Amino acid sequence: MRRVLLLALAAVLAGCAEPPAEPTPEAPAPAAPGAFADAEITDDIMGLWSRSCILCHVHGEANAPRVGDAEAWAPRLAQGEDVLLARTVEGYNDMPPLGYCMACEREDFRALIRFMAGGAP
Amino acid sequence: MTGRVRRSGFSRREWLAGSALAGLFGMARPTLGATPAATAPSLPWRNWSGGIVARPAGRFAPASEEALIDFLRATSGPVRPVGSGHSFTELVPTDGHLIVIDQLAGILDHDPATLQATMGGGARIGDLGAPLEALGQAMINLPDIDRQTLAGATATATHGTGIAHQSLSGYITGMRLVTADGGVLDLDAETDPDTFHAARVSLGALGVVTRIRMQNREPYRLKVRSWAQTTESVLETFDESAARHRHFEMFPLVHSDYALVLAIDETDEPVRNPPPEEDDGFGAAMAGWMGLPPGERRPHINAAASQIAPSEVVDTSHRALTNVRNSRFNEMEYSVPLHVGGECLREVLRTIAEREIDVVFPLEYRYVARDDTWLGMSSGDEDHAAISIHRTATEDYRAYFDAIEPIFLKYGGRPHWGKVHSLGHAELSALYPRFEDFRALRRRLDPDGRFLNAHLRHVFGEPPSEDSA
Repeated sequence: MRRVLLLALAAVLAGCAEPPAEPTPEAPAPAAPGAFADAEITDDIMGLWSRSCILCHVHGEANAPRVGDAEAWAPRLAQGEDVLLARTVEGYNDMPPLGYCMACEREDFRALIRFMAGGAP
Repeated sequence: MTGRVRRSGFSRREWLAGSALAGLFGMARPTLGATPAATAPSLPWRNWSGGIVARPAGRFAPASEEALIDFLRATSGPVRPVGSGHSFTELVPTDGHLIVIDQLAGILDHDPATLQATMGGGARIGDLGAPLEALGQAMINLPDIDRQTLAGATATATHGTGIAHQSLSGYITGMRLVTADGGVLDLDAETDPDTFHAARVSLGALGVVTRIRMQNREPYRLKVRSWAQTTESVLETFDESAARHRHFEMFPLVHSDYALVLAIDETDEPVRNPPPEEDDGFGAAMAGWMGLPPGERRPHINAAASQIAPSEVVDTSHRALTNVRNSRFNEMEYSVPLHVGGECLREVLRTIAEREIDVVFPLEYRYVARDDTWLGMSSGDEDHAAISIHRTATEDYRAYFDAIEPIFLKYGGRPHWGKVHSLGHAELSALYPRFEDFRALRRRLDPDGRFLNAHLRHVFGEPPSEDSA
């Protein structure tokens, strides 16, 4: 890994980057009631997960909330489905548009978010 | 059919029915995206940096080559293959169907004797290093970004660094191309050299590359050393340094006299690559300088850059050469003949300083070896120096890039196919001896222009179409 270079470059970028992905509240905000609750997590969805979201949401690359980390997901869910979906499609901070899932449609993203936020398949 | 047709103006059921009917009765193939959408429109598509937007009629994600072949045989209308969306040019946008190739992945075959491996075109580069190593192979060189697909990276002649190392496309020894009518071409340098040399850097304009055979080597480790040095002193001995090291490049810091330098060499030393330390203070200082007018930054940046401590790590090649690029940006990169590389870089840096262009993102300067592809940016009889300029994704890059692009052109530069450029057919044809041959081949393989979009029509000098984005 080009550590020093990356540090220096990242440091340069940090000076002009947007704010962090989400504020870190002292206590996680409650999730919006029923957000994504009806999204169906199928084998097909897990295939999409394994080819896209997994790239960042396992190790927390780019400050991505990790899969199953309810505390990290709670303030995001609290913003509601429309906000989360819009940020997913358009990209937000360091998350690229569509989160590398070029095949995903709206219902796919609903299911993927539900899964990552702790919903069982 | 094992694939996903999503939110199409032509539903999966309709497509299946149309496919069967067309096969049975010789009917005209259904045209994708030509009928009113019966369902919610497909989501917009954006590239990695977010600046390129498309509104495709639908997405098709084949789970197999057979599914892709069936799809192309059974349909007509515009399509564009998409990898990871890391191109900053409008290679992907279509109002037809996106063909998502990420299920055509994995290592399909390997030969321990030749150290070659066949991989799915949709495989992400970062997913190949470990499994190749387990098979006793490693890719000879790699680009910076590890999330591009192999087909996408090679379609744009994506490259790494090294005077003795070609772009990824240069290491392709065979490939499978599925063409607009669903035809299958297995290509290599012996059976159809012209098509092979064209298809290795195709801009996705000849069809969908479903599998690629690469010349690899035995696994190896690399020692990565980096330090800060004055840009001019690095340039004075750049050729010697490039010859001495397996990889050698620098990142000139704009509005300063310094560059961050990178030298990478093979080693037998054990892996030592601890997690990077957090901010060393350079970032905080740079954030402060951004409040200064560009013309006043030089002494401050020089003072801080001179304090950057050298670094050294050792790691397996695929971990040493590639990065996860978390901070999104837009980029313009041109390659110029090696002998004018330093002169071109100096003029770019001088222009940024004289015009006081308010940019903090460093440049990148590296060498790439010549290859025998038709459209590779380092193809031909001489090696090239590649020079990159960047802007963060949230900034408007146009004024900056517009100011620098004429300098690249003045030195005979060729644009990276996946990075911002303004060139069209007339300029590009003059830069590549085989450009017109490529145009003729493209017309032969895709006479109806299914794989063209507005950008590619501009690049290849084809008339605009009302049916393509």
